[in-house]
Amino acid sequence: MGSAFAAGFEILSFGAIIVLVVLGLGIIASMMGIFNFAQGEFVLLGAYITYLAYSNGIPVWVGMAAAPFLVGALGFVLEGLIIRRFYAAPIVAMLGTYALGLIIRESVRGLIGGFYLSVPEPVGGSIDIGSIHVSTWRFVIIIVTTLVMIGCYLLLSRTSFGLRVRATLENPSLARTSGISTASIYGTTFAFGAALAGLAGALLVPVFSLFADLGIRFLIQGFVSVMVGGVGSFIGPVAGAAVIGTLSAALPWVMAPVAADILVFVLAIVFIKFRPQGLMSGKGV
Amino acid sequence: MFSDHNYLSRRRFLSGFASASGALATGVGSWVVRPDWANAAEGPIKVGIATDLTGPIAYAGNADANVAKMVIKEINDAGGLLGRPIELFIEDTASNESIAVGNVRKLIQRDKVDMVLGGITSSMRNAIKDPIVARGKTLYIYPQLYEGKECTPYLFCTGPTPAQQCDEFIPWLIKNGGKKFALPSANYVWPHTLNVYARKVIEANGGEVVFEEYYPLDQIDFGSTVNRIISNKVDVVFNTVIPPGVGPFFKQLYEAGFLKNGGRLACVYYDENTLNINQANEIEGLASCLDYFKALTKDDPVSARIQAAYDKDYPGKILFAAGSAATGTYRGLKLWAAAVKEAGKVDRDSVAAALDHAKIAEGPGGPAEMVPGKRHCKMKMYTAVAKGGNYEIVARSNGLVDPKEC
Repeated sequence: MGSAFAAGFEILSFGAIIVLVVLGLGIIASMMGIFNFAQGEFVLLGAYITYLAYSNGIPVWVGMAAAPFLVGALGFVLEGLIIRRFYAAPIVAMLGTYALGLIIRESVRGLIGGFYLSVPEPVGGSIDIGSIHVSTWRFVIIIVTTLVMIGCYLLLSRTSFGLRVRATLENPSLARTSGISTASIYGTTFAFGAALAGLAGALLVPVFSLFADLGIRFLIQGFVSVMVGGVGSFIGPVAGAAVIGTLSAALPWVMAPVAADILVFVLAIVFIKFRPQGLMSGKGV
Repeated sequence: MFSDHNYLSRRRFLSGFASASGALATGVGSWVVRPDWANAAEGPIKVGIATDLTGPIAYAGNADANVAKMVIKEINDAGGLLGRPIELFIEDTASNESIAVGNVRKLIQRDKVDMVLGGITSSMRNAIKDPIVARGKTLYIYPQLYEGKECTPYLFCTGPTPAQQCDEFIPWLIKNGGKKFALPSANYVWPHTLNVYARKVIEANGGEVVFEEYYPLDQIDFGSTVNRIISNKVDVVFNTVIPPGVGPFFKQLYEAGFLKNGGRLACVYYDENTLNINQANEIEGLASCLDYFKALTKDDPVSARIQAAYDKDYPGKILFAAGSAATGTYRGLKLWAAAVKEAGKVDRDSVAAALDHAKIAEGPGGPAEMVPGKRHCKMKMYTAVAKGGNYEIVARSNGLVDPKEC
């Protein structure tokens, strides 16, 4: 019983981590039609900002709160300077964002000297339930992920900003004719996706420590999640992330971890083969 | 719109051609450290260092390059070898085997070095040993702790072997931890081979291995592993999971109450660099067994002198640490220098014959000597325990420990 509870918590917490990473990726992929290969590096930047705050004696939670805003601002600037030029050519956009990610990753590697650096959690330790100990910080991550997920959903489905984002996705020319500035909507959406990545990085860094490949580590899982979930809606990638995250965390409990690692991708490929549109098909929220 | 810029003018072609051929001739990522008196009558003796100056383990490679510069400068300042200065050639292996082979060939064919020292991972050693030893007909020294079983002629190992890291360490762990061992490991050659040896020593000393499991190298979530360790009431986690996984793994173990229940962490590559991956309280009591710890400088004047010389020349984050092969590099260069002195010449066979039984009285952690015919190095070994973010030496070997290889 205790062991089952511990297993459930570990699986849920890793699922939440993957969902958190995929949120921004999914919003950019679904709402803008761009696969952002630099998304992992936005996660890394969020983690790096948190580390910078900590190493300069600023409380960790201040760094965590600042990370989404700083990364979002950077996303806004990059969209205006670079990403904007790629909307007509999604394949080139993949290469362009990959290059961008490479530049960010190697710069951070230079800055941290290739080391693995620890950042403490603002709320550390573990919650003891009888003989079972669960990590307090992972519990916090589950709660924050749930809140952010609900917040994003409400933003896209219930606000006029969300309506304009969806209008821009569905029919850009009609949106423009109706007086929506699609350029600024794209800029804001990209910045929002980047900010979510920054938040993910800030929350993850106490769990996984800071290293240059932190972001790229999640990139493949993130893209598989988006493919499994289905591009075009907000819910699709999130559902995909929940499935992939849960599978990656659950399979090692029942088989050799090396085999589990491969099986997740095999299952994803088989699933996409039989349901190419993903779990949730169609546009919308 | 910018079509006029696309014409390749003669000037543009020539300047591009010149810089490209310049890069080809000098090589990208090559460093030459020339002594002041490099034009001595006979010309300098050439030492090649091939190490990971860039890539994920650049912190280790740069430490090794720093140690090489320090040792070679010291030898040159003391009059060189055989009346000749030493010229140092440093090439980047970039944590990438195919780049490494190309750059090592440069050392052998273009620079014609008399000896190559370097490589940190076992896959790197396997990639560059053939270009150096077989096709390059040059002496090769490998400085890192590793899984053993490297018995190639003209290839000398100066880092600790499984026997040196396990024979005294595992009995200590059984006494100061318990009998039930778990062997969580990264899925590559070093953990696989080391675990075979470790399991033998554990069982010979009355311990038992509760489980041995291998993980993908980039796995960073260890929920199921931690659960098995806790529910099996494991006493000692003998870890060979490597970064980036090791930080999250130790953290999850800590959060699950492994240390609180009296569990002992053990990891034989843990040095001063890797201490920073976790908060100090998450790895309190972690035990490691290496040929050198900075804590030794308190009671060993030779180690203190070497450490001070390094810190003076290279202050900052690139540490002089055993897990980065920095101590193996120091030992390798000094043993080679002793061999060259004894041989009186620098051709491969004479130096290899002298290196086969070379000895140094002073090195980081103590003296060292090659075991004749084995091409591995006897050295002192120390067991240290992490306390509040630093190591404390808790056990030391009686004299030099045999590598038991080849």
